[in-house]
Amino acid sequence: MSDLMFGLDTFGDVPQDDAGKLVSHAAAIRQVVDEAVLADQLGVDVIALGEHHRPEYSVSTPETVLAGIATRTSRIRLASGVTVLSSDDPVRVFQRFATVDALSNGRAEVILGRGSFTESFPLFGYDLRDYDKLFEEKIDLFVKLLDERPVTWSGTLRAPLEQADVFPKTESGHLSTWVGVGGSPQSVVRTAQYGLPLMLAIIGGAPERFAPYIDLYRRAADQLGTTAHPVGMHSPGFIADTDEEAKEVYWPHYRIMRDRIGKLRGWPPIRRQEFDSEVEHGSLYIGSPETVARRMARAIRSLGVGRFDLIYSAGAQPASARMRAVELYGSKVIPMVRELLA
Amino acid sequence: MAAADFELGLNSFGEVATDGDRVLSDAETVRLLVDEARLAESVGLDVFSVGEHYRAGHNDSATPVLLAAAATATTRIRLGTSVTVLSTNDPVRLYHEFSTLDAVSNGRAQLVLGRASATESFPLFGYDLADYERLFEEKLDLFLRLQHDETVTWSGTVRSPLTEQRLHPRMQPGGIPTWIGVGGSPNSVIRAARHGLPLMLAIIGGRPQRFAGHVDLYTRALEQFGHTPQPIGQHSLGLVADTDEEAVETWWRYWQPVAAALAAERGFYKPDRARYEAEIDHGALFVGSPETVAQKIATVARDLRLNRFDLKYDIMHLPREARARTIELLGSAVAPRVRELLAKEPTHV
Repeated sequence: MSDLMFGLDTFGDVPQDDAGKLVSHAAAIRQVVDEAVLADQLGVDVIALGEHHRPEYSVSTPETVLAGIATRTSRIRLASGVTVLSSDDPVRVFQRFATVDALSNGRAEVILGRGSFTESFPLFGYDLRDYDKLFEEKIDLFVKLLDERPVTWSGTLRAPLEQADVFPKTESGHLSTWVGVGGSPQSVVRTAQYGLPLMLAIIGGAPERFAPYIDLYRRAADQLGTTAHPVGMHSPGFIADTDEEAKEVYWPHYRIMRDRIGKLRGWPPIRRQEFDSEVEHGSLYIGSPETVARRMARAIRSLGVGRFDLIYSAGAQPASARMRAVELYGSKVIPMVRELLA
Repeated sequence: MAAADFELGLNSFGEVATDGDRVLSDAETVRLLVDEARLAESVGLDVFSVGEHYRAGHNDSATPVLLAAAATATTRIRLGTSVTVLSTNDPVRLYHEFSTLDAVSNGRAQLVLGRASATESFPLFGYDLADYERLFEEKLDLFLRLQHDETVTWSGTVRSPLTEQRLHPRMQPGGIPTWIGVGGSPNSVIRAARHGLPLMLAIIGGRPQRFAGHVDLYTRALEQFGHTPQPIGQHSLGLVADTDEEAVETWWRYWQPVAAALAAERGFYKPDRARYEAEIDHGALFVGSPETVAQKIATVARDLRLNRFDLKYDIMHLPREARARTIELLGSAVAPRVRELLAKEPTHV
């Protein structure tokens, strides 16, 4: 299982400093850069940054931060997680990521998604009623741009293109592109239709319940005559020296964040018991390196995925604890998972 | 202005370089820009800026991304644009990108906004050239509001409205240095003055001194609008080599084909050798030895009351060694000499 890939994923949550004070957005961004540099040194395969437009997250343009990371790292792959394609322009997205790819000697990776939050729609002037159509049309154009030849295209939600040639070109001729899916079978089939790799966002419940999506992806690719790539999963978690410490550092901030989002989506407030149960056998990979490695290995084995990305921040966990989590993930968890699966 | 405060910067339009006989790939050129920003800082230059273009041979389509990579490769040099085509960008996205750049660079981001002299971005992003003026005017208004106010409600005709939006990451209060780039339109000069923003003159042909009228207009207009005096900069093309002869021959070899193509496209004059040499002697090409280029910069700096001069040092297929030599000499020889010359004779202030 040496071709398994392990990533770290963040939205650039604004952390607390050691005095318990929230740092500035700017400092939160620099924290992400420093964490990525450490992850690179420890041999983590991917750092993925998600685009958000909310005050508690500092990353609204993943590629600008990834470019900053590119200069200071040499091996780690630089991904978005996700790029909200629906409210962005496919031409601009290509240009930005092709530039990151150049800066990093071919380490860029776009993960396209529709976004689970909707703030970007009013911000950039899109109508939520076009949610599906926006993504459908824009991914269609994006896939054409991936050929890196002049593109002629027309649709209903973006200006047409007539033999438009877009620069810079990549060295490999192929900008690595995934599609992030939250739980819509339709999105899974579309990903298979384009022959793109699938990244499953599994943020609650038993990971095994996502097995049918992976099966659907493979069957769809087979029927459509495209390639089924190894599937990736991304899930939240946190690592500290002991199980107890990991849970206690994570919980108070996670609870605030979870209830804030819950209010928007009509979820009841989270109870400690639910949290403990998610940690025990759901989709929160929280604990000592041994505990997290064991749970990751089980999920990877049961779903047969080729990549696991850990969302290592959820709320204002202190910057120093986050850095420690990154360190333990790279130095302990990844080697342990590899060993468990060998 | 104190001569010691005179700023010297570099501009690149992301143009493909060569290495020996080999033309670098787009990606290699992108990486070369980061090396050049690092070199610029090491020789003490003040600003490194990139343009925004959408044509073959140019690799500056994602300006903030390029600058963010330069940001973590440097610690002091300021990072900007020359120019950002505001008309075909979204001010909200631009705010995100430059506030992120400012964060990554620890407060070194700045930009020059303009309407662009090349028009490729209009069809590419679905804009109508008929809206050229209105696009810029409205988007400038919004971009400045986003920098100034934490919560913005805005409506206009060229972009969807915003209702009580707060953008993240936040810039520091007051935003980042934002200049207006002008090519020669008095309307643009007055607009810069109306907003109280610094003025960057793009002077790419003819005697720079003919912009003196614009400088006067700008100074008077600033006063009438009740703003304090603002910095004035000049952007021009050129190359610095060890001798005048080497500089003149090298630049001619690479500039001539580019100028000829541009002449056909935009109706400029055709570049013959006599005109070329005249451009170097008293026009807008800053080509020569460090002493020649320093004298020339000091002269325009006095005549146009400049606070900043940016040299656009790359031109299609110019060898990377020649680019590097320009940067080294600009920082190590030209910059100190310009400051020395400006200190000798009192400037406008």
